[in-house]
Amino acid sequence: MKKRIIALMLALIMVLSLAACSSNDNGAADDGEKILHVAESFAYPSLDAHKEYYGWYTSIYGITEALFKMGDDSSVQPCLAEKAEVSDDNLTWTVTLKDGISFSNGNAVTAENVIANLKRCGEVNVRFAQFADYEYKAVSDKEFTITTDEIYPTLVNDLASPEMAIMDLDATEDIDNAPIATGPFVIKSFVPEGTVEVSRNDNYWGGDVKLDGAVFYYMQDDESKLMAMQNGEIDCYTSVTAAAKEIFDASPDKYTVTDIPATRLQFYMLNQNRLSDELRQAINLTVDCDAIASYLNGTVTAAVGPFGTSTAYGKVTKPAVDTAAAKAAIEEAGYTLGSDGIYEKDGQDLKLNICYYPARSLDSLALLIQEQLKAIGVDSYLTSQEDADATYIISGDYDIALYCMIADKNGDPYYFIDTVLRPGGYWASAGFESDKANELIAKLQVETDSAERARLANEIVQLAIDDNAIGCVGLFNNITVSAKNVSGIYENCPFDFYRIDADTDM
Amino acid sequence: MIIIGLSFLTYLLMYISPGDPALKKLNAQGITVSEETLEAAREEMGLNEPFLARYANWLSNALTGDLGASYKDGLPVANKLMHAMRYTLILSAASLAVSLIISLPLAVITAVKKDGVLDNIVRLLSFIGNSLPNFLISVLLMYFFCVKTDLLPVIADESVKGLILPCLALTIPMCARFLRQFRAEVLEQLGRDYVLGARARGVKSSVILFKNVLHNAAIPILTIVALSVGTLLGGSVVVETIFRWPGIGKLVMDSITARDYPVIQGFVIFTSCIYVLINLAADLCYRRLDPRVGQM
Repeated sequence: MKKRIIALMLALIMVLSLAACSSNDNGAADDGEKILHVAESFAYPSLDAHKEYYGWYTSIYGITEALFKMGDDSSVQPCLAEKAEVSDDNLTWTVTLKDGISFSNGNAVTAENVIANLKRCGEVNVRFAQFADYEYKAVSDKEFTITTDEIYPTLVNDLASPEMAIMDLDATEDIDNAPIATGPFVIKSFVPEGTVEVSRNDNYWGGDVKLDGAVFYYMQDDESKLMAMQNGEIDCYTSVTAAAKEIFDASPDKYTVTDIPATRLQFYMLNQNRLSDELRQAINLTVDCDAIASYLNGTVTAAVGPFGTSTAYGKVTKPAVDTAAAKAAIEEAGYTLGSDGIYEKDGQDLKLNICYYPARSLDSLALLIQEQLKAIGVDSYLTSQEDADATYIISGDYDIALYCMIADKNGDPYYFIDTVLRPGGYWASAGFESDKANELIAKLQVETDSAERARLANEIVQLAIDDNAIGCVGLFNNITVSAKNVSGIYENCPFDFYRIDADTDM
Repeated sequence: MIIIGLSFLTYLLMYISPGDPALKKLNAQGITVSEETLEAAREEMGLNEPFLARYANWLSNALTGDLGASYKDGLPVANKLMHAMRYTLILSAASLAVSLIISLPLAVITAVKKDGVLDNIVRLLSFIGNSLPNFLISVLLMYFFCVKTDLLPVIADESVKGLILPCLALTIPMCARFLRQFRAEVLEQLGRDYVLGARARGVKSSVILFKNVLHNAAIPILTIVALSVGTLLGGSVVVETIFRWPGIGKLVMDSITARDYPVIQGFVIFTSCIYVLINLAADLCYRRLDPRVGQM
């Protein structure tokens, strides 16, 4: 018996020793090097920037760059390309690359390289499938043309998508683990869906890179990130929770906290097939977005329209909360206040179906909206669905449908308008239809001038707000915390796909 | 039969649950889904086949070790499960070993010295250990060992250092449970007539304890341990997420969120096999411990 116990103990010790053999202690000193340690909430199995959303992370890691990039004000700015000009018929774009751009292996980036990348991205990523079919022509090493089959006003915005990264496809041997690209950093070690280490690209075409490298840890748990930051094991992270923000705010000498409204929108659609104009108006006059933002403790900013107010296409207005006017509107629709404090008509209580899915704080939003409506005499019940797209969005079986989406994907308003406000759009199940709006949407589809696009977008969204088709509640904030000595981590950028570049320092 | 029955049940449950995996996959890619795109994706993923044909196809592949490819990243399910299972095995073995080393001797001592000071302290601690939820234990351990005393790093990866805290987080509640159950088993044996008889015959207390009482308590203790091993190998989502331990619990939770059916199905088969094997091993041990079991 004793022998068996000893054998068992030895077996256990061996198992533990195996664990010890796989030791990968990252607590090693950085030898005076400037290594930035970052926690990220997501990690992917590949570094192939063209596939899925992996390009967001190769961009965050500073490995890949696209022809253009998004600015803090959601404008498109040059990156590898100097400019893009469109022909008079708006079908042929001429893209000019910057002088002296090269890959991390020293090879020059040519127009041919870029064309090969755009075509490949179109082939492997369904969202950019159109790029596989366009006609390309290299005019010179620095210049090429893209001819589209129909007017494509947001082509430059799409060229700024991180998935449109330019990699040295000829020289790269293992695109999933070690792509050769143009960014200020190169891959040092990569664990699929785990920790990623990058080091400075000594051949960076954009000049000196301030950091020696960076380590990106995959950390999903908010408490772990908070404690790693407090412990000095990471230097920055984003998506800080409201509770953690309070802790960091209390030590302004140690941490810099940046809180900006980003592009993820919480909104609701009001079903025009079920709710009269007066009822929709009453709902929008009642839902108090400021109170909801305050309840959500700084994680969202109260929204006016679907886009940030700092963007050119986010200049819309909506009426202030006015519960007296809301009640008047309900009464105008023929409802009378019952003895139980709930409006009724023909003996039937006014009871609305609020549909939501329990993510992105929509469950809290549903409860708060229910309470606010009840305060003016509108009863409601909540319907929670795990998969909104497969249930209430498709069936249209709702009075109020809550949803959350990235409304501004690439510095342009068309995506939201096309999918939510255009009849037949993927999320356009609430029955909003306006000849004027349809006419403007058709114009927006082909308009290439960005100022005019913004004007058209503002007009379309304003029509939807005035018609009480939608209610925009909040834009999720990008809350970033960093140690005091860290700078240049894109903390003021509303887009999620940038973190470090040549100017990031500590 | 048990495994095939379970696999059929899981396949059926996933089939009738709301939500379209093809739609989920396309939405995850940010694609504005048209009916044509959706149909093409369904065809590609084999979702247009009748339910029984899909299940039969999956089962025949599974029997040859091919559990399919993940919807999420296209990687073979078997590889993903094996990779995660390696970490779950390490964590499970470590926490089980520590739990047994602590709880077995303590349970025997507290049973022998029933109602003594040590017994009261251990009972109080095991009550607290049983009451604390796993996430709270994990966060408290991290706060104390990493932030307050700086003894261990928050970010430790899959190293020995990284194993300590997740192992403790699993050990504390398991120890608390083992202590109560083992103590009760030993106490029950101590109250049996054969113990009284042996004492009356002047047999030494240590002989009664180690030769008779512990031997007779071994079968129920083995049952408790076998059940715990099964639970441990199913993975712990909370502990694995907080401590960044890439085990099977975290993998399956991510797969459920993403409706990654092939991985979920593979997990069910994998854990069913483990449960069956553990139960078989426990049965074989019963026979060794008590030959009468084999004669029943």
